[in-house]
Amino acid sequence: MAKTREIRRRIRSIEKTRQITKTMEMIATSKLKRASDRVAAARPYAQRLAEVIGRLLDPELRERYPLLRQPVQQRRAAVILLTSNRGQAGAFNVNLTRETRTLLARLRQEGVEPELHVVGRKGIAFFRFHKVPAALTRTDITDRPTAADASSLVEPLVARFEAGEIDAVHVVYAQYRSALFTPPAVLTVLPIPEPADQQGGRALNYILSPSADEILNRLLPLYVRNMVYRALVETAAAEQGARRTAMKNATDNAGDVLDTLRRKYNRLRQAVITQEIAEIVGGAAALE
Amino acid sequence: MAERLSVSVISPERTVFEGVADMVVATAWDGEVGILRHHAPMLALLGEGELRIRAGTQEQRFFVAGGFLQVVDDRVTILSERAQAD
Repeated sequence: MAKTREIRRRIRSIEKTRQITKTMEMIATSKLKRASDRVAAARPYAQRLAEVIGRLLDPELRERYPLLRQPVQQRRAAVILLTSNRGQAGAFNVNLTRETRTLLARLRQEGVEPELHVVGRKGIAFFRFHKVPAALTRTDITDRPTAADASSLVEPLVARFEAGEIDAVHVVYAQYRSALFTPPAVLTVLPIPEPADQQGGRALNYILSPSADEILNRLLPLYVRNMVYRALVETAAAEQGARRTAMKNATDNAGDVLDTLRRKYNRLRQAVITQEIAEIVGGAAALE
Repeated sequence: MAERLSVSVISPERTVFEGVADMVVATAWDGEVGILRHHAPMLALLGEGELRIRAGTQEQRFFVAGGFLQVVDDRVTILSERAQAD
């Protein structure tokens, strides 16, 4: 008898767990929708900006712009890691921290001294546990990052890059390929990588106001900020995607466990009844 | 060539405005510029100020700070980190 009560208690407990994971799955689904809308909404700006910069930029003149300067020798590099503030998202944060450790190790091997900037409680906790000091930690960026968050994050680094204090800035973030596929990736924001699209738009005879030089000097920082902003929104969307998958798996697992437990419970209950009947029959037989 | 200008105002977070217009007046870095049809290709830095988009008798106003304005083939694109409807 005690055994059946024990199983009944576990069934109730797992039912409650399943209710919670199911709810979290639904919340993640609705947040994912909004987050992926933001990823899509960020695309036109990024595209146009890259297009214009590609059009204005003469690759021969790279050296004239401080943000495009390729340092001859890399000595110090900043690594910005983007993680989430909350867990329950499967391997999401683990993947990101692992990617970061690989990157840090690679930089050290190349003789570059890395400097770690961590966004999100999960990443902070990980590196504190492993006693890796971080130059900067932030938890104030929510799952709805804004362009202002991006600038406040990268602006001091842009200034230090221009001053020659650091030679590169890398961002470790989660790419949002789809709700189910969110691989960690490293994006080098400084020195600015060549904007991908350069389909000979230079031939267009623009009226430039002011000069191409001045326009570029103003647009390049926008481009850096925008890369970081995109990394932030993609990571936010990827987090919700990862959480939805993790919670769906948890809900499914809870269902499987419940099935097994219910079967076990019924078998036990029947065994008890059978035994009682046998006892009664046995007792009656003994009286005759 | 298009009958009217097609205009888009885009901020990093979203597309603020997308539509057709007869005239666009923006605050460039050195003062206001007006764009009509058949404008030559242009790329101008923007200052801080008003952006007016006129279609017929309707006029829409936005506040824009920084960014740039691009005109190519009667397509006007305004990109700014701060662009909002007034």
